[in-house]
Amino acid sequence: MNLAEFFQVAPVAPDLLAPSLGLIIALPLLGAFICGVFGRMLGRANVHLIACSAVAGAFVLSVLAFWATSHTAPGAGDGARRLLAFYRNPFGIEADFVRYALAYDYGTWFAVGDFRVNFGLAVDHLSGILLLVITGVGFLIHLYSTSYMEHDDGYWRYFAYLNLFVAAMLTLVLADNLVLLFVGWEGVGMASYLLIGFWYTDPAKAWAGRKAFVTNRIGDFAFLIATFLMVLLVSAFTRQANAGDYAMAGSNSQRYQAALQEKGPLTFKGLEKMAEGLMDSNSDKVDLTTPIEAGPLEGYTFGGVMTAALLLFLLGAAGKSAQLPLYVWLPDAMAGPTPVSALIHAATMVTAGVYLFSRMAALLVLSPTAMATVAIIGALTSLLAALIAFAQDDIKKVLAYSTVSQLGIMFMGVGMGIFWAAVLHLVTHAFFKACLFLGAGSVMHGNGDETDIKKLGGLRHEMKWTWGTFLVATLAITGIIPLSGFFSKDAILHGVHHNHLEGLHWVSSAVYYLGLVIAASTAFYMTRLYLLTFEGPRSKEARVAHAHESAWQMTLPLVVLAVLSVVAAVYAFPLMRSSSGQPQAVFENFLSPVFSAMNRIANGAKTVELDTSVPHLADYVFAWLVALSGGGAAAFLYLRFFPARAGQPAPAFARAVRRTAQNKFYVDELYEFIVIRPVKFMSFILFRVVDALLIDTVAVRGTAWVTARVGSALRYVQTGDAQAYAAVMALALLGGVAYALIQVMQ
Amino acid sequence: MNIELILFGAFALLTLLSAGMVIFARSPINSAMALVSTFFFLAGIYVLLWAHTVAVMQVLVYAGAIMVLFLFVIMLLNLGESPTRGRPTLARLAGGAATVGLLAVLTITLLKLPQGASAMGPEAQASFGTMATMGQVIFTQWLFPFEAVSLLLLVAMVGAVVVAKSRI
Amino acid sequence: MVPITYYLLLAAALFCMGMFGVLVRRNALVVFMCVELMLNAANLTFLAFARMRGDSIGHVSAFFVIAVAAAEAAIGLAIVIAVFRSRGSVLVEDIRTMKH
Repeated sequence: MNLAEFFQVAPVAPDLLAPSLGLIIALPLLGAFICGVFGRMLGRANVHLIACSAVAGAFVLSVLAFWATSHTAPGAGDGARRLLAFYRNPFGIEADFVRYALAYDYGTWFAVGDFRVNFGLAVDHLSGILLLVITGVGFLIHLYSTSYMEHDDGYWRYFAYLNLFVAAMLTLVLADNLVLLFVGWEGVGMASYLLIGFWYTDPAKAWAGRKAFVTNRIGDFAFLIATFLMVLLVSAFTRQANAGDYAMAGSNSQRYQAALQEKGPLTFKGLEKMAEGLMDSNSDKVDLTTPIEAGPLEGYTFGGVMTAALLLFLLGAAGKSAQLPLYVWLPDAMAGPTPVSALIHAATMVTAGVYLFSRMAALLVLSPTAMATVAIIGALTSLLAALIAFAQDDIKKVLAYSTVSQLGIMFMGVGMGIFWAAVLHLVTHAFFKACLFLGAGSVMHGNGDETDIKKLGGLRHEMKWTWGTFLVATLAITGIIPLSGFFSKDAILHGVHHNHLEGLHWVSSAVYYLGLVIAASTAFYMTRLYLLTFEGPRSKEARVAHAHESAWQMTLPLVVLAVLSVVAAVYAFPLMRSSSGQPQAVFENFLSPVFSAMNRIANGAKTVELDTSVPHLADYVFAWLVALSGGGAAAFLYLRFFPARAGQPAPAFARAVRRTAQNKFYVDELYEFIVIRPVKFMSFILFRVVDALLIDTVAVRGTAWVTARVGSALRYVQTGDAQAYAAVMALALLGGVAYALIQVMQ
Repeated sequence: MNIELILFGAFALLTLLSAGMVIFARSPINSAMALVSTFFFLAGIYVLLWAHTVAVMQVLVYAGAIMVLFLFVIMLLNLGESPTRGRPTLARLAGGAATVGLLAVLTITLLKLPQGASAMGPEAQASFGTMATMGQVIFTQWLFPFEAVSLLLLVAMVGAVVVAKSRI
Repeated sequence: MVPITYYLLLAAALFCMGMFGVLVRRNALVVFMCVELMLNAANLTFLAFARMRGDSIGHVSAFFVIAVAAAEAAIGLAIVIAVFRSRGSVLVEDIRTMKH
């Protein structure tokens, strides 16, 4: 048995594994329950064991599930192998199979009239890779936390929340419909809120949790409205589509309607089919410019509603993934414990927006406007965050802004239709950013919780493991060959450069040049962060004289993540052949079954021109030079220029720039002025007039006053004589009977 | 003027007379004895309505068991005549007036009702109100309420013992 | 035969007499007896309507009323005994704890 065959034969066959997919979610959920309810009784070691083993179990199951998505059996011919991992697409025609995937439907979750939501889970290559990232990185961070939180009394709460988060994130990724995805979406938001405000006795930290929650709520609201629009769109489509439309989607009316009855309107497969049906062709009735005939959206075109829904999804994704205009919560979210920042606010939760758009890629490519908006929002966020990161002195704040910036790069990729590269960057970013955050946590742990990089320095010799892994991760995010960050970022920039949106050609080059600036900026601030923390002499203001290296539970995850950030590069190598025989990146080939519908639509609807070329050597060299220039500038400034000018005041211009960047371009202040002040003013008016006057004085106290007065008047009626009460009853009976009699006589 | 109407008139008159004695007698013992005779005359009226089984149960349960209970309690508490009449309070006057008014209203209503009874065939007449017919209904259609009532009686029995006992 | 209305009139009169006793008499035991009178009036109505409609449901209802009346008398008299033990009186006007 050769190696390829080994990877193609899963230990557990897909049809055996599919009914157990729910266990992947149930295990961490059970862990959260046990840790949360019995954690205090169980003691620290048992809580560690339960929390870690729950995630480890989920990881093992995820590996099995991921493996099963590529399960094959020897075929009839020589060399050809038969794929066994597929399931019947209920929305397609009889012979329509979803390949390289397994799914299981646990039945109806709830149904209202025609609307139905199933508890359906599905694993394909996209969700499979995310499962591995979530449970794998999640396990490493659980392990790391056992040491990081060793002095905290709230350990059981912490691990319960962390397990809860993992369960919610897995729900988000495994869901096969938008509603179940939203459950996970809200679940991770709640877990994030709980963990940011973990040390809730500190008002600033509790406030940071609330800020994250409220900002996320704005996005979630948009998400919900977009979901409702989707329901309306599906019903309008089924009302108006003719056989041509269904043929376009590879389906027919009976099958589609039956699947809607069975699965509900919000499954991703159904939406994908609808997206294909909305393409323009000769024999169809419905395309993007067709007006909707009836219902609440009457008169709007399908394309217009689709764009509106996608833009609302973008707002939802911006809330969760910290993009403009809702990114402000993420830097403050660093108030939580550092492993939380690594898991939630770097590796997994914040990438939910990228996952959402990749999952709905088939819908997104129908609307070049929405795509362009996504790309531009991503680019602007990325640039703004990178510039802010220039002047931050808090090690975690720099990493937080770096995360916002990297997420912006992923959004650029998604917006320009280069989904596979965005997902690849998601994965590599999860590795190196988790490594950086954990490294930062290790630095803080070893230096008495010092976070100001100006007061660190020279840690290279004192924390060897942390230093080594941090360096690797820094090089990866900076984009130095041959680390993974270089390839994933370059794949995005290459795709951005060569893909073109229909009617919006300028977006491609604008975003590309912004991307180059971002790449250089990333190199600059990361090099600065690294140099100030690890190189040079130890700062005189350091809290502890000598830093100590952390325990193995903390360094082991660092090493694993550092190794992963190196080897993940292999995914971007053009080792495979596409169906047309061209060289193709491994990851692109790997994800092609997921994005096949997207490709069909992009080619059929001509909304985006997808480029399939692989980067040339010259492209690599150019990207490398860009990264080097940024890193070199930082190295020059912080190794030669500033040390040489020590004691001299910086130029006024530089100070002004620094102050602006340090104050985060006054975005928080702007929001304060535009949003928070008016809301507070309105709230004050409402408080004074409606609440204090109308409700408190008139309604509440007034009611009490009237009741009291009436009560004291009626006191005299209460003689305590049972017969008096009975007499009242008798009188009432007489009245009732007499009234009835009068009614009857009339 | 048939015999049935005569019997009804006699029984009705006697029932009302005894009922009047129940409410106007000064001694509780007298009230209780008047109540027994009320129950007996009512049983006669039930027979006129062909409710033989209920009439028997009326005598057994009411005139037998319940009245014994009343008399027993009166003797246990050693209650004699009430020494003074209570003064008529406002509540009592109102209650009395309401009762009279209710009687008037009910009488007016009933007099406006259509008269007469449904004619029954001879075979229905033969089985109407017998133990067999009632048993048929109770043990099929009304089995659950029947069982529930048995439970209620058990609970009442235990409750009466608990409440009346001086110390448990 | 006797018209059903006569029976109903008799029941109404009996009911009102019972009610009058409940509202006017001071002795709790007599009040109880009057309650029994009211229950009997209700029974009479049931039986009269059963006769009119020619079905047995009215009889069954009367049967249940008798059973419940038995339970009610047992409990009620037990309460009267308990009250007499604690207060030394069975007069309704002496029992006014509901005022507080």
